[in-house]
Amino acid sequence: MKITVNGQEREAHAGESILDLCRREGIPIPTFCYHQAFGGQGACRMCMVEIKEDGQSRSRLVAACTYPLTKTAEIITESEQIQRIRRTIVMLLARRAGENPLLEELSRAYGAAHLPAITVEPANCILCGLCIHACAEMGRSAIWSMFRGVDKRIATPYDEASDDCMGCAACARVCPTQAIKVEEEDAVRKIWNKTFALVSCSRCGKYYATREELEYLSKHGDFGQQQLCETCRKKNLAYNIKTFQQ
Amino acid sequence: MQTEMNLGSDDRQTVLVCCGTGCTANGGREVFNAFETSLQDHPEIQVLPVVKATGCNGWCEKGPLVRLLPRDITYCSVAPADVDEIINKTLLDGVLVKRLLYRDPVSKEHLTSHHLTDFYRKQHKIALRNIGEIDPGQIDDYVQRGGYQALQKALLGMKGQEVIDTIKASGLRGRGGGGFPTGQKWQACRNASGNTKYIICNGDEGDPGAFMDRSIMEGDPHTVIEGMILGAYAVGASHGYIYVRDEYDLAVQYLRKAVDDARQRGYLGNNILNTGFVFDIDLIRGGGAFVCGEETALIASIEGRVGEPHDKYIFPTEKGLWGKPTVINNVETWANVPVIVLHGPASFAAIGTANSKGTKVFSLVGKVVNTGLVEVPMGTTLREIIYEIGGGVLKKRSFKAVQTGGPSGGCIPAELLDLPIDFDSLTEAGSMMGSGGLIVMDDRTCMVEVARYYVNFLAGESCGKCTPCREGIRALLEILTRISEGQGSIGDLDLLEDISFTMQQASLCALGRTAPNPVLSTLRYFREEYLEHIEQHRCPAGVCRALSIFYIDPEVCNGCGVCARHCAVNAIQGEKKQAHVIDESICIHCGECYRQCAFDAIKLR
Repeated sequence: MKITVNGQEREAHAGESILDLCRREGIPIPTFCYHQAFGGQGACRMCMVEIKEDGQSRSRLVAACTYPLTKTAEIITESEQIQRIRRTIVMLLARRAGENPLLEELSRAYGAAHLPAITVEPANCILCGLCIHACAEMGRSAIWSMFRGVDKRIATPYDEASDDCMGCAACARVCPTQAIKVEEEDAVRKIWNKTFALVSCSRCGKYYATREELEYLSKHGDFGQQQLCETCRKKNLAYNIKTFQQ
Repeated sequence: MQTEMNLGSDDRQTVLVCCGTGCTANGGREVFNAFETSLQDHPEIQVLPVVKATGCNGWCEKGPLVRLLPRDITYCSVAPADVDEIINKTLLDGVLVKRLLYRDPVSKEHLTSHHLTDFYRKQHKIALRNIGEIDPGQIDDYVQRGGYQALQKALLGMKGQEVIDTIKASGLRGRGGGGFPTGQKWQACRNASGNTKYIICNGDEGDPGAFMDRSIMEGDPHTVIEGMILGAYAVGASHGYIYVRDEYDLAVQYLRKAVDDARQRGYLGNNILNTGFVFDIDLIRGGGAFVCGEETALIASIEGRVGEPHDKYIFPTEKGLWGKPTVINNVETWANVPVIVLHGPASFAAIGTANSKGTKVFSLVGKVVNTGLVEVPMGTTLREIIYEIGGGVLKKRSFKAVQTGGPSGGCIPAELLDLPIDFDSLTEAGSMMGSGGLIVMDDRTCMVEVARYYVNFLAGESCGKCTPCREGIRALLEILTRISEGQGSIGDLDLLEDISFTMQQASLCALGRTAPNPVLSTLRYFREEYLEHIEQHRCPAGVCRALSIFYIDPEVCNGCGVCARHCAVNAIQGEKKQAHVIDESICIHCGECYRQCAFDAIKLR
């Protein structure tokens, strides 16, 4: 399927999103709420692009992350009105995460006006929703968005320590603004109002995961009997491949 | 095209007591009970009149309404204490109780029937055809007025495609706000591949001041059900859902009974009218989130997920409830369907404007004499609705604007009163049809405050998923609050417009895309009022507290004392029949004296 992006012809798979096509082809489209593991949410609206499909007389603005390509189309990823939208979105989001490097940099890049900061909980959260997806993908759904409208925020139920949270910190890892606090001291990790004992790597001794996470993972697949941190696991894998080839 | 009244065919007297929500609040139920008990005390009556509690007649201003058939007498504002007099004089002796009749404000004549009043004469009832005429709890009442005949006509003599062609030819467009052609929607669903398809009735009406769908569900639930069965037959669906706000308690009760009754009569179930057609309906009670009126959020809510919309690049007609092709129509749309199928599309298409056919139900509220529910042909002008049907602005104040379409709509100024209203004309004027709310505003309404009110409503009702809507509304609200407190600057107006642009263009769903309408329409038509707030720190309507300083003009004040009696903080002093004075050190600028003074003696600095 032929898709013209910014004047250049590209080949798209039927049904894939505009964003997936552009990422593959190396065409930059800014996003906050997109992660390749979760697909498009259409929440942050930074990825708005103009599309004119076969048979349409006028182009229209759509979210690149959720728009499925089904027929020949012309797409523009940068235009005056797209810039204007992105500038406003950055301006509005920067209020939630004013001192975050990502938003600071984008504010400069788009020349976004400065609006007074607002207090949000957790601080710097721009409500992209990636943490919710990460937690759900892990099979836990310990956090979700609470309330609606301007009061919406991410939290565990009733802001209490959640039985479903296993302290894996997948949420914190996908957060684009480092809004989710993970405190680690000695052999203890604190996250989402809950304290976890950490397990150390059997090879290098580094504390790397919570007991709850390892127990959960062992129930859901064969992750080896040895307790290894990410670095040592890679080393181990490399060693195994090497010895296997010999 | 209306079915003739034939309930009193045996000449038996019938008493119809309006027990719509408005009349119930004013004691309609008590009046109904009084009729039932008082009639028992008259053993001399050979054939007792039938007493029915009906749905909303629409004329809420004059409720509780009592109608007597077959003589077609309407009594207004009836109290339980009036019941004995009505029975003794009118039912037994045939004499009118003059004081309960409506008195025309112009001719000063007493009108015997509501049909003779301006409020009703200008209306054309299709969706509301049965409401007020039947007991919504009785399926027989609906059947007697031609109910389920359209279903028989379709199931026994039409193919599904023919039903769609009929709807297409009628020009019916969705009454929920968007105005999408109904036939086209059904066609897309019929054409979609798959054997499992769904029908949904959207009864999640939530606009402030709107009660069209509520009155239909409460007053004539079977028309909604019949419409849905016809839709299901047309697109090939076997299951339907009615999504209704749980706050609509009466609607839930009546719909539940109506679904059960329809099933018992064979209009729903596994073998409808012995044709083998299968369709059934479940009732889903919504939890009260305004955003769940948006199609995709409503679907998510039925599926048990958080009521958040998602992008509609693939329409629900292709991939809707549980991923299956789904038709969602609003309550009023469904209510029109049986009439169109039964009487054919031509008579429906003969009403209305070029691109908006049929009638539209409006809830007429605000500063208008006759508040209530009205149904008029598309293309009726705002002036006709507000002045002829509505009886003009309350207290003879001057008309300032009418808000249409709820939080997604806008304010239309006096210059556009002669605008024939349909889907397209309202959109062009910067507002929208919405589900049909009409809020009349007089010169004592502050347009900045109106915009702020709606944005504040949406601040709590946006789902909060997408940035432009959530953060845009937050910013609009801050700016409007600032302006209403006298802290605004000229640059704020540009900021309002800039943020509104992004909200309109980039928001995920229609709630966000239309959320700036109250702001943009007031900016378009009442910009000078914004400027007066910003530059002169003055609210010309005397509404914004921080900007309203009141004083009493001693030349005009006649010392009636009404203002002093209404002042909550006793800030007004004065001798009887002498000019009064407001003590500014006590005054909290609430504006109550300003609104109460009948002589316009209270002025704004």
